[in-house]
Amino acid sequence: MRAERSARLQDQLAAQGLDGLVLLGTSAVAYATGADAPGCDSGRAALLRPVAVVVAGDPSPHLFTPYPEGAPPELPGDHLHPAAVVDDDDGAAALASALAGLVLPGARLGCDEVPHPLDRALAGYRLVPASGVTGAAKLAKTVDELACIRAAQALNEAAMVDVRPRLRPGVTQTDLSAVFLRRVVELGADFNGIDPIWQPMPARLADGPWTVHGGVAFPLPSAPRPLDDGDVIWVDTGVHVGGYASDFGRTWIVGDDPRPTARQRDQFARWWAVMEAVLAVIKPGATALDLAQAARAAEGGATPWIEHFYLAHGVGTDSAEMPLVGTDLGEEFDAGLVLAPGMVLVLEPVIWDDGAAGYRSEDIVAVTDDGWVALSDHPYDPFGPP
Amino acid sequence: MSVLADPTCVDDADVRADRRRRLFAAMDDAGLDALVLGRPAEVAFATGARQLWTAGSRPFGPACVAVRATGRTHLLSTWDAEVPPEVGHDDLYGLTWNPALLAASLAAIPGLADAARVGTTSSSPGFPRLLASAAPRAEVVDGGPALWAARGPKSGAEVERIVAACRLAAAGRDAMVAALRPGASERDLVAAHLAAIAERGAPAPPTEAVASASPAGPRRRPSAEPIAAGRLVALDPGAFFRGYEGGFGRTVVAGGGPVAGADAAVGAVVAACRAGATGADLLAAWAASGEPPPAGPLATGVGLGLEPPVIGAGVGAATVLAPRTVLAVSGWVGGALRRDLVLVTAGEPRVLTEDL
Repeated sequence: MRAERSARLQDQLAAQGLDGLVLLGTSAVAYATGADAPGCDSGRAALLRPVAVVVAGDPSPHLFTPYPEGAPPELPGDHLHPAAVVDDDDGAAALASALAGLVLPGARLGCDEVPHPLDRALAGYRLVPASGVTGAAKLAKTVDELACIRAAQALNEAAMVDVRPRLRPGVTQTDLSAVFLRRVVELGADFNGIDPIWQPMPARLADGPWTVHGGVAFPLPSAPRPLDDGDVIWVDTGVHVGGYASDFGRTWIVGDDPRPTARQRDQFARWWAVMEAVLAVIKPGATALDLAQAARAAEGGATPWIEHFYLAHGVGTDSAEMPLVGTDLGEEFDAGLVLAPGMVLVLEPVIWDDGAAGYRSEDIVAVTDDGWVALSDHPYDPFGPP
Repeated sequence: MSVLADPTCVDDADVRADRRRRLFAAMDDAGLDALVLGRPAEVAFATGARQLWTAGSRPFGPACVAVRATGRTHLLSTWDAEVPPEVGHDDLYGLTWNPALLAASLAAIPGLADAARVGTTSSSPGFPRLLASAAPRAEVVDGGPALWAARGPKSGAEVERIVAACRLAAAGRDAMVAALRPGASERDLVAAHLAAIAERGAPAPPTEAVASASPAGPRRRPSAEPIAAGRLVALDPGAFFRGYEGGFGRTVVAGGGPVAGADAAVGAVVAACRAGATGADLLAAWAASGEPPPAGPLATGVGLGLEPPVIGAGVGAATVLAPRTVLAVSGWVGGALRRDLVLVTAGEPRVLTEDL
């Protein structure tokens, strides 16, 4: 899998005429090198980060890491380097010095982030965005990548089997996080990717936070806040397994034996109808606009997803990556995004009835040669089966 | 005691006001008309907003813009939940996937179009062009020094929060010690730590690398193998309290008691943490203990997460320690870890983790 990913990066470097990549973002480095690193908050992950250098024509990436024990076993010894603290002038100069032995100054390098010290140290190079190369390489997954995503999702789903029975009146959001985080580590997750979300949804938007667009505020961070009987909870979590992210989304109801109301069952039925409509058009050659239009048609022309997000997004070493469907990039963008085998879609339609809250769940599919295959498999309790 | 129980709530108004005052004073001193911030901890420092925690680093983007002429901080947030009242609705710009819409949001920030000098805390190959569309006359400069002038020295209230985070971390340590029964693995210890701090309301630790029983040195990914009796187990718990990081490192023997193997060497470095001392002084204090050079950083800043300076082999020797900064000093000796947090003062350093 790592060799296939490296080949894809090399193909894109050649196609786009770049001489190399210098990658700093956690998920980009994971993709380019396969290097293992502990889950860290963003500040630590930036200051003490693995850095990937990909040189055009060299099938092995170079890895500069504070966690050498996480280097993949096939990485040649002369491709494993000490950590480069690129937010510091000394550290950036050390990276530049090593880089000069790999790529001659004047070369065109794709970069995702360039802290000022690194910018000064790489003054002799022409720096361009890396996203053209990494985005194109990551867009369609290999068979092994799909297996990794499925494994990550299965682990996340298994942990939820222990969490949902705890959703009783008086439990706090962070109590639920405690159960979840313990369980995902026990089950073998690499690390947790996002503060687990257990957000009680207000019946009316006016009872929730103010938003710039007037729509739903989601996702909000968790707190030691007790949940009440009957609260509608939108759940959203993600963990990393084998370098790949999961994305679990469900709607739950707080209670000892929660029973959705007729209105809530109707919301779930409409959500299901949107899913069926979208799944029916997913196949190679369909565009993102086809999916968005199918979703809207199933909801009588309304837009059944969160305004600041999307109907669907990809998942890989990033928890949300291309393809994005239904964003504010607009219909022209969606019309130009053509599905191909290996693309992954996390479908997350939302039904909202102001005054009666709403229903949101997420399911993951991969585009196959003639349709799609599910990568997620979790019940819709207490709403389902449909 | 002003520090309350909830480790996650938006912090007190006086703490926020003090940070904001320091930020704009540093911008004044550096002659910055605007400062564009990207990383979550920077945004928390400037605005006090509590945003959703995610693991890992992401590419730089304009998550917050502070404008000197207006004294306002503009925040990338689609909602006002967990946003303090001094950041008004007019100061919020929503999440977008569309660079043209982001550019329009930035262009609408009052005072940014007239800025002559704009600092950014990081950059990317595409960012200068985006910023130029909103601040066409601006010279774009490194805003890092101004940010760290404001963020580095800690107020008393900030130190209180770091100490509160250390207490949460101690609960994580206690849970790991309790979980260290015959047959337990590193993974069991990490699970116990995560659950213990989440039960206290602080689910995201600074790192999940909190337990290592590897004789080969620190291991960052926990093993599921049972830890053999007699094995050294390095415990490195950590937690956040209202964004501030606390933590410490200690070593125990599986089936036995604490191990002091690294205490003397780390203690010597801690004693050297005085205002005006350099990174080279700290490295010399470590070398004087006779131990081999540390593989990882010997010292890093701590505050709203890990901060500069990073002092270790090949990095940070010229750093001059500033008063009121907090450093994490860590060292491994013979498979034993010790890590302490220390407040740098003009006189004796104050160890924040001595009794833990």
